Amino acid sequence: MAIVTADHITKIYDGKVAHSAINQLSFEVEQGEFLAIMGPSGSGKTTLLNLLSTIDQPTSGSLTINDQNPQTLSAKQAAIFRREQLGFVFQDFNLLPALTVEENMVLPLTLANQPVEEMKERVDRLIQDLHLEQVRNHFPHELSGGQAQRTAIGRALIHQPQIVLADEPTGNLDSKASKDVLELLTKINRERMTTIVMVTHDPIAASYCDRVLFIKDGEYFNEIYKEDLRQTFFQRILNLLSLLGGNVNDLSTVRLS
Amino acid sequence: MTFLQFAYRNVIRNRRVYAAYFMASSFSVMVFFIYSMLLFHPSIENQFIQEIAFMGMAVADVVLVIFTLFFLLYSLSAFLQARSKEFGILQQLGMDRSQLQRLVFIETMILGVVALATGIFFGYIFTKLFFMVIRAMLVLDTLPLYFSPEPFLLTAVVFTTLFIVISIAGSIFIRQSAIIQLLSGSTQSRETAHFSKVGAFLSFGLLAVAYGLVLYCLYEMNVWWSPVIILCAIAGSYYFFKDGILYLIHKLQRNKQLYWRSLRIVTFSDAIEKIRENARMYFIVTMVSTLAIISVGVVASLTSFANQYRESNPISVLYVSESGNPYEASHIDQLTSDFYKENLTYTLLTAPVTKQTSAATNRPVQLLRETDINTIAAVLKEPLIDLEPGEGMRFGQEVRDGQEQLIHLRENTIYFHVDEGYQYFPLPEAAFDGPAYILSDEDFERIVNPYLYGDWASSVTTVFAFHVPDWLRTDKVGLTLDREMIASYEGNQELPFYFDNPGLNYSYISSTFSLLLVTGLLVAAVLILAAGSFIYFKFYTNLEKDRRQFEVLRHMGLTNQELRRIANRQLYPQFFLPWGLAMLHATFSFLFLQAVWVDIAAMSIAMEMLIVLGAFTCIQAVYYLLIRWRYFAHLQLHTG
Repeated sequence: MAIVTADHITKIYDGKVAHSAINQLSFEVEQGEFLAIMGPSGSGKTTLLNLLSTIDQPTSGSLTINDQNPQTLSAKQAAIFRREQLGFVFQDFNLLPALTVEENMVLPLTLANQPVEEMKERVDRLIQDLHLEQVRNHFPHELSGGQAQRTAIGRALIHQPQIVLADEPTGNLDSKASKDVLELLTKINRERMTTIVMVTHDPIAASYCDRVLFIKDGEYFNEIYKEDLRQTFFQRILNLLSLLGGNVNDLSTVRLS
Repeated sequence: MTFLQFAYRNVIRNRRVYAAYFMASSFSVMVFFIYSMLLFHPSIENQFIQEIAFMGMAVADVVLVIFTLFFLLYSLSAFLQARSKEFGILQQLGMDRSQLQRLVFIETMILGVVALATGIFFGYIFTKLFFMVIRAMLVLDTLPLYFSPEPFLLTAVVFTTLFIVISIAGSIFIRQSAIIQLLSGSTQSRETAHFSKVGAFLSFGLLAVAYGLVLYCLYEMNVWWSPVIILCAIAGSYYFFKDGILYLIHKLQRNKQLYWRSLRIVTFSDAIEKIRENARMYFIVTMVSTLAIISVGVVASLTSFANQYRESNPISVLYVSESGNPYEASHIDQLTSDFYKENLTYTLLTAPVTKQTSAATNRPVQLLRETDINTIAAVLKEPLIDLEPGEGMRFGQEVRDGQEQLIHLRENTIYFHVDEGYQYFPLPEAAFDGPAYILSDEDFERIVNPYLYGDWASSVTTVFAFHVPDWLRTDKVGLTLDREMIASYEGNQELPFYFDNPGLNYSYISSTFSLLLVTGLLVAAVLILAAGSFIYFKFYTNLEKDRRQFEVLRHMGLTNQELRRIANRQLYPQFFLPWGLAMLHATFSFLFLQAVWVDIAAMSIAMEMLIVLGAFTCIQAVYYLLIRWRYFAHLQLHTG
C-alpha cells in the first residue's frame, strides 16, 4: 500500500527569473519502505523533501501523504499533521542548543501535551535503544556528531510518526558514526515498520535502502531496487551515478565499509 | 576601491546593526549641544536664579559625556565581537593587523563624525524649541536663537576627542584574538549553564538587605545608610543576573510536571540561555534605567516641593512697615497700582503690631490683636480663635506642655497666660524682632503706654496683608521692592520695612525646578535610548540563530500561532527582566526618598512616583511592541 503518492508534481519558484525546481515528477513510497532519493547538486532533492514535509506546496500536480492531501490543509492543520505524522532528521542535526539530550527528545511530546509519565517512559526506552544513557543530561555542544544525530533520530521517533524524512543524515558524520546511524535507521525501519525517506549524496548511505530514486534537474531519472547483497547494490548505485554524470564532487564522499 | 571606500561601505552596509548605536550617540551629541547653546547664551548672563539652573546644565553635560564614553566603549566591543567572523575572513585573505586596526579606526570615526554632524544639525533645529520651553519656564521676555561659534566648538571638540578615544580603543580590542578564534565566530561562548549557588544566595541576600534597610529607614531615618543600600543593590543586581535568576529557573526546571508542558520547555531553556549570554548587559540596562527613573523622580519631587511652598506662605503679598517708615505711603500706592496694572483683585488687611517689654526677660515682645488675626484668618478660610482677657497665644510657634508662661508687660502691667500656639498661618519671622503674641481685644486696648525705650511712633509696626485669590499671577507685583530687599540683604543694611511676595518667589523656585526637570528628562532620555540600543543590538545579533531555531520548530509541526507565542515569550526576559528589577529598585528608592522628604517638608511624593514609573513603563511597552513587530517580520511569522 502506498503511503506517499506524488502525481506529476511541479514546483516553480517565482522570482526575477522563474525557475522550476521539480518538474512533472511522479513516484510512490510504500508503507514500511526505506527509500533513498539521490541526484546531483541542484537536482531538486531538498525542494522535494520540503514538499513532502508540507513546509512548501507544489505549484501543480497532486501529492498524497497517508491519505491526506497537504495542499488542502490550512497552515494550522498542516502543522498538526507534521507534528503527528512526520519525523525529521537533518544534516546539521538542528538540535535546540539550550535543551539537553533528554529535553530535545521529549520536545515533540510536550508540544502535544502528553502526560509527563508517558513522556518519561518513552524517552527512557528510546535513550536505551539509541545508547545515549551516558549523555542523557548533556547539552548539544557537548556531544559528538554521532551522538547528536542519534539524539535527533530519537526526537524524530518519539511520537511514533508514520514517516521519517531525513535530509543528508550522514552528511556531517565520520564513517564510523555514519555506519551506526544508517544501521540504526535500518533497524527502525525493520522493527517499527516506519517508512523512511532519505535524501542523500552518499552512495554508501543509499546502499542501506530498499530502493534508490534518482532525480536530475527536478525530473525522474531512474530507480533501482535492492535485490541482493548491499555490496552489489552499492556497485549498481555507483554505476548509475556515473551515468547520471554528476560532478566529481558528488562522488567524493565514497567510502567502502 | 580604496581602503577608505571599503571602510565606508562596511559601515553603510552594516547600517542595520549600527542603527541604534548611531541614534543613541547622535542623540547624545544633540542633547549636549542644546545644553551648550543655553550655557553660552549671551542674553542671560549675570542673572541671579538662572545661575543655579546653568550649573545644572554644566553638570548634565559632564554626566552626558562620561556616560556616552562608557556606552560607546561597551557597544563597540560588542559590535566588534559580533563581526569577528568577518575580521577573521579579512585576515585570512591577507589583511595584516595594522590594516585591520586602521579599518576599525576609520569605521568608528566615520560613524562618529556622521553622528556628530547629525547631532549638531538636529540640535540646532531643536534649540529654538528648547529655548521656547525655557523662556516660558523662566518667564524671560526674550530668549532668542543666536549664532555663535562657542557651542559648536565645544560640542565638536568634546565629541571628536571622545570618538578618537573610542576608535583607538576599538582598534586595540581587535588586536588580541587569533584568526581561527575569530573565524569560529561569536558562538564560542556556549558553556554549560554554570551558575554558582553561592552567587545566587548572595544576590538574594544583598537585595534583601538593600530593601530591608530601606524599609527600616521608613521607621528610623538615617541618610548615612544610603551608600550601603546603593552598594548592596548594585552588587545584588549583578549577582542576580549572573546567578540568582538562573538558579530560580533551574529550580523550576527540576519540576518536570511544570517544565515539560507544551511550549515551556522551549521558552524556559531559551530564557536561561539568553540570560546567561546577556547577564552583564541586563545588569547595565537595569542600572541605567534605574538611574534614569530616579533622576526624573527626584526632580519631579522637587517640583512638588515647590507646590508645597504655597501652603507655608498663605498670604499673597505681605508688607510690614516699621514705625516711622517714611516710604510707607508711597510703597502701598505703588503696590496697589501694580495690582491694578496686572488686573488683580485683592483684599487689603492691616494689623497694628505693638512692641512692649517683657518683665521677665526685659526684652521686646510683639503683640497682635485677636480681631486683626481673626480678620486675616477669615479671609484665608482658617479657623477663628476666641481669647478671654488674661489669655494669650504664642504666634507662629507651638507651646509644648511645661512651657506655659505667664507674661507680664512692663509698660502697662498687663498679665496674660500663654498655653497655646497659633499656627494657622505664619508671618515671616524676619518681619519682627522678638517673639510675637496674640492678645485678647480687651487686653490689647489696655496698652496705652508706649514702648519703654521709645515713643509711640516707634512702638507700632503695621502689617499690610494683601490677599489675592489669583496668587500665582502676583509675580510682577512689587518687583522694585523685592530688589531693594535683596540689595539690603547683600549690603547688610536695615530697612524700615519688610516685603514678601510668595508668588514671585514661587515663580523663581518653580522655574528653577522645572528647568532642572527638563534637564533631567533629557539626560534620562539619553540613558533610556542607550539602554534600548543595547537591547536592540543584542536582539539583532541573535536574529540569525533564532531564525534557524524557528525553522526547526516549524518543521516539527508548530503552528504559526504557537511560534508567535514562543517568539513573544523570547522577548520577555530581555525587556521585562531588567525592567522589572529597575522598577523594583526605583520603587524602593522612592520610598527612601519619601522618607527623606517627610523629614524635610512633610509631604507626599506618591503622585510623582506613580507618574514617573507609569511614564517609563509606557515608554518600555512602546519599545517592546516596536521590537516585537520587527522581530516577527524578520522571522516571517506574520504570514498565514
